[in-house]
Amino acid sequence: RRSPGRRRRRGPATEGSSPRDGGSMRCEQVSVLYFARSAELAGLRCETLSVPREITSLQLWEEIVKVHPRLAVIRDQVVFAVRQEYVLLGDQLLVLQPGDEVAIIPPISGG
Amino acid sequence: MEESNNVPKDFIKLKSEKLSVDEVSELVVSPCCGAVSLFIGTTRNNFEGKKVIHLEYEAYTSMAETEIKKICRDVRQKWPSVKHIAVQHRLGVVPITEASVIIAVSSPHRAESLEAVMYCIDTLKASVPIWKKEIYEDEYSWKENKECFWANSEK
Repeated sequence: RRSPGRRRRRGPATEGSSPRDGGSMRCEQVSVLYFARSAELAGLRCETLSVPREITSLQLWEEIVKVHPRLAVIRDQVVFAVRQEYVLLGDQLLVLQPGDEVAIIPPISGG
Repeated sequence: MEESNNVPKDFIKLKSEKLSVDEVSELVVSPCCGAVSLFIGTTRNNFEGKKVIHLEYEAYTSMAETEIKKICRDVRQKWPSVKHIAVQHRLGVVPITEASVIIAVSSPHRAESLEAVMYCIDTLKASVPIWKKEIYEDEYSWKENKECFWANSEK
């Protein structure tokens, strides 16, 4: 039913769900928000990306860098905000829902 | 509602217009409070010998408001006598000497509001997703608060 040739989708991540796969291979459309230096490097402020539903925060970063390689230079300085909660780049497993907001958060400087 | 001034309130606003100290103080004034404490963050005209032309702020607005609400909740846990809290942060271009942030807290006696104001600004700098860009004559720089635990301060 799925043709093997159809692997190019809009997002950087793995192909969508298949009856054979476990839930972890499903992808979700998430809203990625870019701020401050990360917005300058990515060249945009927001977009929808298709990423695996279950993914570590570090893997999620790597998916985003595939789309915007210039972001690689700030890897050591950023954290995520997933559903408006801060998440360090690392082994933390995220379970993403469709429409979730994922924000790239460079070092803050309010006040 | 006549009694509305008795209910403790948090006033949180992110806006691009010029901030007013009078307006923010008025928000927290209360007949039961003998103290209103204030912090005003203003823009300096220099950084490490470079002339600062102006500052520009941007925010992850919805999350910033949520994080400021958490700060207010923490303030009320630590200083239960605090009455009203107002936090206003400016976004966009802020000219030199104008205020970027104003925090006002009212309480019956001065110790609590003074301590609460300090806690608010210190915690805002550590946790609220707002970014400041310093514009110099020939270049600009995204600033990083030393309070930010994920900033790479060695760079």
